[in-house]
Amino acid sequence: MKPAAFDYRAPASVDEALPLLGLDSAVLAGGQSLVPLLNLRLARPELVVDVNGIAELDYIHADDGVLRIGALTRQVTLERSELVATRWPLLTKAVRLVGHAQIRTRGTVGGSVAHADPAAELPAALIALGARIHLRSPRRARAISASEFFLGPLHTAREPDELLVEVEVPEPPEGAGSGFAEHARTHGDFATAGAAAVVAAGHAGIALLGAGPVPVRAEAAERALAGGAEPGEAATLAAQGVDDEHRRALCTELARRAIEEALG
Amino acid sequence: MGALAGRPLRRREDERILRGRTRYLDDIDPPGAAHVAFVRSPFAHARIGAIDVPEEIEGVVAVISAAELEGRAADLPVQGFEGGEVSTEGHPVLARGEVRYAGQPVAAVLAESRAAAEDGAELVEVDYDPLEAVLEARGSEVTMTRWHRVSGDVERAFESAAHVTRARHSLPRLAPVPMEPRGAIASYDEAEDMLTVWVSAQDSHRQLAGLAKVLDRPEESIHVIVPDVGGAFGSKGAPAPETMLVAAAAIATGRTVKWAEDREENFVASYQGRGVEAEVELALDANGTMLAVRARIWADLGGYLMPTTAIPSHTTAMLMCGVYDIRAADVQVEGRRTNKVPTGPYRGAGRPEAAYFLECTVDAAARELGIDPLELRRRNLVREFPYETALGWTYDSGDYARCLELAEELVKPERHDDDARVVGTGFGMYVERAGGMFESADAELLPDGRVLVRSGSSPHGQGHDTTFAQLAADRLGIAMEDVELRFGDSKEVPRGAGTFASRSVAMGGSAVVQAVDVLKEKIAAVSAGRAMSLREVAEAEPGIRASARFESDLVFSSGAYGAVVEIDRATGRLRVLRLAAVDDAGTIVNPLLAEGQVIGGSAQGLGQCLVEEALYDEEGNPTFASFVGYSLLTAAEMPPVETAFVESPSPLNPLGAKGIGEGGAIGTPAAVANAVADALGGVWVDPPFTDAKLWRALREASG
Repeated sequence: MKPAAFDYRAPASVDEALPLLGLDSAVLAGGQSLVPLLNLRLARPELVVDVNGIAELDYIHADDGVLRIGALTRQVTLERSELVATRWPLLTKAVRLVGHAQIRTRGTVGGSVAHADPAAELPAALIALGARIHLRSPRRARAISASEFFLGPLHTAREPDELLVEVEVPEPPEGAGSGFAEHARTHGDFATAGAAAVVAAGHAGIALLGAGPVPVRAEAAERALAGGAEPGEAATLAAQGVDDEHRRALCTELARRAIEEALG
Repeated sequence: MGALAGRPLRRREDERILRGRTRYLDDIDPPGAAHVAFVRSPFAHARIGAIDVPEEIEGVVAVISAAELEGRAADLPVQGFEGGEVSTEGHPVLARGEVRYAGQPVAAVLAESRAAAEDGAELVEVDYDPLEAVLEARGSEVTMTRWHRVSGDVERAFESAAHVTRARHSLPRLAPVPMEPRGAIASYDEAEDMLTVWVSAQDSHRQLAGLAKVLDRPEESIHVIVPDVGGAFGSKGAPAPETMLVAAAAIATGRTVKWAEDREENFVASYQGRGVEAEVELALDANGTMLAVRARIWADLGGYLMPTTAIPSHTTAMLMCGVYDIRAADVQVEGRRTNKVPTGPYRGAGRPEAAYFLECTVDAAARELGIDPLELRRRNLVREFPYETALGWTYDSGDYARCLELAEELVKPERHDDDARVVGTGFGMYVERAGGMFESADAELLPDGRVLVRSGSSPHGQGHDTTFAQLAADRLGIAMEDVELRFGDSKEVPRGAGTFASRSVAMGGSAVVQAVDVLKEKIAAVSAGRAMSLREVAEAEPGIRASARFESDLVFSSGAYGAVVEIDRATGRLRVLRLAAVDDAGTIVNPLLAEGQVIGGSAQGLGQCLVEEALYDEEGNPTFASFVGYSLLTAAEMPPVETAFVESPSPLNPLGAKGIGEGGAIGTPAAVANAVADALGGVWVDPPFTDAKLWRALREASG
């Protein structure tokens, strides 16, 4: 389990990093997914761009009701943030379920989003929260809605020359509650399925993971719930597109638990 | 017993281990060693054509394939069993003409570093012509082992039976997953014609014998050193083809050669456990007395017989009467060739299979007859010892009824059924072969008055250093600190059998006390009634030494396990709420370590129930090459385990000891399976009890 040979660069700033990115490069942040892929030789980039030295990407702050999380923020930092726990508790609930403590100590928020594992927790939570993903390349800077960012397993709307720099999360409506429920074979293992929910009067954000190749926003369930439907009814709508019978039952149950938790 | 044996002392080796002062195989870094990476088959079954090696690869010392081993290394030997047929075709060190499982070693690349060796391995081109892969034992046309025994009038028992219960079950293949993967280092001294092999193994003896046989060298010309070993669970007992290659390569190239496998290799190429299915019929009279058992067992043995592949399914067959007084039995086992990695002994090694097949059948019988499953068991337990079973083994001692009574008391049976969940209780009993053959030890009085004990039985996590020191110190009436233990170096320790089959205390411990007893007599002869310290005795008569070789028939540990489980109706999720583990391992030397073995074994048994399964896809590719595809339990999934010991001393050794290393792994799956069936109202599902399986079973159960 030794990686195939690659070149290695460790830029100190985003401006230095951007020209290095392209089809044959891989971005190394916490390394919790990339390093195993390299060691198994499933990933064979010519160049590894180590962004761990880019201090400007490591921050969590809120301005004007918007949470901004730098891509290099460690998952453990998000997990322990008082600010996040108070105003964006769905993120605290979701990040706690990412792997084990050791993994969260190294793993980054941007890495989890950019890697786009269909079983990942943060992408589903970000979709439910209506987050936006900020990307930069030498050509441009752009932001894309989380619900449009994930295109397939390990496949996103990020272009090869783009660096994921920030996750932007709007504040949930006044009085909103949140819930996150997931099912995994063992504690800390990849989730089989899960659901994230943010619910307030006349508002609902619901997303499922494990219901398909990407985390999905459950729009029909959101509309029903915002219109006063019961949690069970909304949960059934959320999972209605899942093919496998047992997985559909699982997604329905997890959506119901997440919604009920959000409703308190 | 003296002041130390029988006490729950903490492991004295742990401080060294926890402080990282151990030396595992990969910690040994001989200067100038060539490192090995294997080219392994990507196909489950294929003919091999040309093997194309580039002229020169950077950093690569040599590339070895079967052609280069011609005349240098024979196939691995095969161990048979009594009264059956076992193919003599062993596992080749490197594939010759054909590969029979994905992961089989085809060529070895020696390079200046492991990374260079892996780079080199990618450049070796093997011409494979894929063949159809056989993945089911019952679909295989090649039988590698066969054993059949009929005892008593089985036909008549079934004809006269008031009731016959028929059951069909299977257990999946399991990966052993020791914390430390396998590895070996070899160096060859041509002038002395001495081959030295360091190997992560359960003992030096079987490695030494295997090397001598495969390399056709006298045993005196081989020195095997087993360093600290980070677990094995059976998987480091039989010598590995890779170890043979390392040794042959060291002789051929004159270089020191090192192979320390990675986790992926360990998953795909280490021999696995279980992979057995059975059809069982139990004949009972109107009172629920068991009259006869009939069983047909098929074992999925994989592509080749590794040295000990034949053993576990034979053990399963021999234990098919379990703890019950059944006077007629017709049991047949067939070990079939499939295109998977070979199987071999894995914690339990045939015993969990027997307990699972029989105990599930007993519960089904109880359900069909409307008799309480505990009452049905009580009516049929063996109660007098020694007891010779219909299949030919003699149980030495036991109190099966007491074990069952305690298990019931400790587990607190519970049944419940509502809209959200179902709760059920189940029990599983077992009797297991342990010990047997021989073990050796010697004891020496050192000049400073301490005693050095060299044991043929060596540890890979069991706590020998503590247990054996307790025994030796007790016999000599000295402090444990004054007893030093040494293991694992074939030049130093006496020739023994090794650490497997829950035999260390019963066999190795008995050899230790016998050697120490002789040493004590020799010391007494020197002191001749005078008050002398051991140091004074050592001064008066330097080099007092004694040795012992202890032999015994098999001893039979037993136990009763109980489990209470809950199944979530909405998701099918199984939670084991609590487990009771009652084991009779004869007289216990260290109750703390014994309980540790029970809990560890139970965790492995629960892993098998909840998540573990080494699955192959339809082409025979392993889907378990990493921890993404093969899950292990964490502490979070462990329920409370209530343990208790019943101590029926074995009459077969001076300690009265039996084995405790495997009981948890043997009793747990049967108890959990019966609890699951109880919760499901009699619907039978085989492990692992995944959410999807149980969710579907619940729907079936509620009609």
